[in-house]
Amino acid sequence: MNDSEPRTLDCGKTVEELSDYLAAGRTPFDPRIETCPECLNALQGLTRVSQLFHSLIQQDVADLPAPRENWFQDIMTNIHREVRAGRSLPLPHPDNRVNLSLTEGAVLALIRTVGDTVPGMLIGTSHLEGNVEELGAPIDVSVAASILWNQPIPDAAHTLRALISNALTKHTALNITSINITIEDLHEDMANKDMEN
Amino acid sequence: MSALVQQPDKDRLEGVADAILVGRAVSGDTGAFETLIRRHGPLMRAYTARIVGSMADADDIVQDAFHTAWRRLPELRDPAAVRPWLMRIASRLAFTSLRRKPAEVELAHLESALPADMQPENVAVRNAQLKALSAALDTLPEDQRRCWLLREVGELSYGDIAQEMELPAATVRGKLARARASIYAQMEGWR
Repeated sequence: MNDSEPRTLDCGKTVEELSDYLAAGRTPFDPRIETCPECLNALQGLTRVSQLFHSLIQQDVADLPAPRENWFQDIMTNIHREVRAGRSLPLPHPDNRVNLSLTEGAVLALIRTVGDTVPGMLIGTSHLEGNVEELGAPIDVSVAASILWNQPIPDAAHTLRALISNALTKHTALNITSINITIEDLHEDMANKDMEN
Repeated sequence: MSALVQQPDKDRLEGVADAILVGRAVSGDTGAFETLIRRHGPLMRAYTARIVGSMADADDIVQDAFHTAWRRLPELRDPAAVRPWLMRIASRLAFTSLRRKPAEVELAHLESALPADMQPENVAVRNAQLKALSAALDTLPEDQRRCWLLREVGELSYGDIAQEMELPAATVRGKLARARASIYAQMEGWR
């Protein structure tokens, strides 16, 4: 088959044109295509090829041999080597010859850990905004979370805010000026799904 | 500090949206990233194997892809679109590896890379059709095949494919249309 030769239907449209039309989600609506039996037939064929291709990949996925031993572990080992420490947060100490600090990564992990204890809640991204490297600088905390679909959101957000506030006061010297919580998503309880059914 | 920080039960992360997992992973949670690997790893392995034609090579490439993804995750602008982003990283590495080993390109038939009992001949449903499609895909020129795979599996936009392949968007559009037309013609007997 010649690569540059356009495949023209009897009605004069090329398969390339139809492919473009399909890729654009059949918009804007082209009455000349949508009323032509030749074109409609080709559109259906092109759609089926695309669906078939998805079946092919799904088939590949279903038939995938297990990866070699340690495949997964090797990835995780590499990743654990590159832990995200982030910035260094100073902690006060009565002896000024002593420098104490906490990593930003540890604080974010603390936020996740306390946040995840709120029933039905899972913490997403969290940020410390402000100059955390300067003792006493005002810091805004922003936290995104997903909540189990049947949990009351205001109660959970209130509990989350209180837990984060307590944990940060107890374990860091940050001067927290605000804690902003965004519920980004709702999720289902996959762990207990089987028990419910 | 580490005593304070526990990983959540892995099952709890399973039903959670990609965007939340990405957010956790960006903030340093390796457990969330592990869930992303389990969720998207199989499609990435299948997709990469389609490109490089060898399961063993695909597994190396997908490992590299996840390692790269972990490092570059903070740059991901739309965390909900992590799957196409992962596919793009995997396809980039896959095509780089193909260029490094040009001799093997001609042998890029996945069937030969899979164990005998997994070959399409032994898969009852639509096996002949799928095989014909697989063969049609293999006859495409490499750039067309790459456009097709990026579009159909990677779900990349024309603009993203153009950027990925360092080609003008209009050229990508032409290549995709030709790939579709060519596969369509070769599949004529199966429609």
